[in-house]
Amino acid sequence: MTTAADQQSRSSLLAELVRRLGISLVLLALVVFMLATKDQFGTYANIANVLQQNAIIGIVACGMTFAIILGGFDLSVGAVAALASVVGANIMIDAAAFNFTLGIAGALLACLSIGAFNGFLIAYVRVNPFVATLGTMTVVRGLIFVYTNATPRFGVDYSFTTIGLGKILGVPIPTIIFVGIALLLGFVLHRTRFGHYVFAVGGNAKTASEMGIDVRRIRFSVYVLAAFCAACAGIILIGQTASAQPQAGLGYELTAIAAVIVGGASLGGGRGSMGGTIVGIFILGVVSNGLNLFGVSAFWQPVATGFILIAAVGLDRGSHNKG
Amino acid sequence: MTSQTILSVDSITKRFGAVVALRDISMTIEAGEITGLVGDNGAGKSTLVKLISGVLRQDGGTLAYDGQPATFTTPAQARASGIETVYQDLSLTGNMTVWANVYLGRELIKGPRFLNILDKAAMIAQTRQMLGRFAMNVPPIEAPVDALSGGQRQLIAIARAAAWGSKLILMDEPTAALGVAETQAVEEVIRGLRESGFSVLVISHNLEQVFRITDRIWVLRRGQVIGQRVTKDTHPDEIVAMITGAAAAMSGNLP
Repeated sequence: MTTAADQQSRSSLLAELVRRLGISLVLLALVVFMLATKDQFGTYANIANVLQQNAIIGIVACGMTFAIILGGFDLSVGAVAALASVVGANIMIDAAAFNFTLGIAGALLACLSIGAFNGFLIAYVRVNPFVATLGTMTVVRGLIFVYTNATPRFGVDYSFTTIGLGKILGVPIPTIIFVGIALLLGFVLHRTRFGHYVFAVGGNAKTASEMGIDVRRIRFSVYVLAAFCAACAGIILIGQTASAQPQAGLGYELTAIAAVIVGGASLGGGRGSMGGTIVGIFILGVVSNGLNLFGVSAFWQPVATGFILIAAVGLDRGSHNKG
Repeated sequence: MTSQTILSVDSITKRFGAVVALRDISMTIEAGEITGLVGDNGAGKSTLVKLISGVLRQDGGTLAYDGQPATFTTPAQARASGIETVYQDLSLTGNMTVWANVYLGRELIKGPRFLNILDKAAMIAQTRQMLGRFAMNVPPIEAPVDALSGGQRQLIAIARAAAWGSKLILMDEPTAALGVAETQAVEEVIRGLRESGFSVLVISHNLEQVFRITDRIWVLRRGQVIGQRVTKDTHPDEIVAMITGAAAAMSGNLP
């Protein structure tokens, strides 16, 4: 009596699988193409390089995945990463003892406050996420420039560069941190009630509220989480430069949003996955690396990212119009 | 017919600014019956349902539910006491699966309490069982609700309302957006609810439907109760006259 229903279920699951694999197949094709055309691509040095370079933006994108599934986004993540870099590095330089721990704690505290402010504006005051996070992005970046006079400050103890440049068993430590955060947040998003509610609020906030879900609390938490991820990225940046970098994280927000969308999430909310985001990050990363290896100017990279984003959204539209 | 009142509304008034939406309304819902609530647009039907379900609060008068005075300030309180509402928009989340919608806000959790890990397997199995109670054709449990037909969505919304130990189910225009076959299926489900011991209040504009499924009909007009009739003892013409005010005009007591 349920065969028709089961078949329908099976075919829609199959479609879902193809859709999910679709984007992974694009990444696979890119990697195969690069391996076939550039010997240099497959070298350990280059692969480690790709993994390391994309780890930081990858961490930012993990947080962004939650914000986009929620039906919003966070434009302030780049500025928040820079805030972590500046606050953390300055504490590490100035504080005498326990300076790494204090620096990390200070950076987290500063960034989580910004995240809480975003969350408060969006969840409780009902400011549009675009306006709220554009505002905090501008304010935070401005305050950083005022405080630092827009100049980097060097002098973080070099032992901290282990975090940004070190390797364990040949794997860059930022990549390990990225994998750890991606696994943890992937679990939270797809296995726990909190993640389930992020999808529910993103899909239909009114219904979620009618069903007794505390929509404001979910929204607030997601923006704090996005800021936490940006803070982790900024702290790893300290580990790569041993300095406070007011210009750090410029454009992170757009790259992260692009990666999440390429990974199959919808800007309308309610759809997306952590796995998709990771694939999205590496599609952008491999294209960028490929352009490099082919000797194309770095200035072309945003052009490529933009076109990939438009193509991803365009293809998504196409598949939706069919239904 | 001896019946027991599950919900009684006593002299309720509700204003929206200067507009009086409900004026001194008194009515009852009998346990184990399907009660129809009819009236023209703006008669106050939806407002009354929102008062019973805790979405709105009355400006005057009292509600008694299951023999106890009821003062619901939130829909969650009404739901916790066993009053479920199926709204016109069904309150379904299209991007989420059937089981996720049925369990929305009441997810089953497994493992250590603080981790709040979803017990998907249990929710899927129980949803299948739950929907099987109400429908011959169980929609695909793991498909997103967006992929389902209007009738299937209505079924899910009703099954969800009936699933949680509720006693009274309020439905606002349950078949307004459905085709003939789907309307029939949903009406079957509503009758099934009565057989399972639920009390049901149905708002409907479709008088034929009201006569097909209800045991008792209450008529509202311009925020006032015009009267009640036992369905099998009345006739659509009489109800129409009550809805439009023709009856009052004939008997000379204009409101």
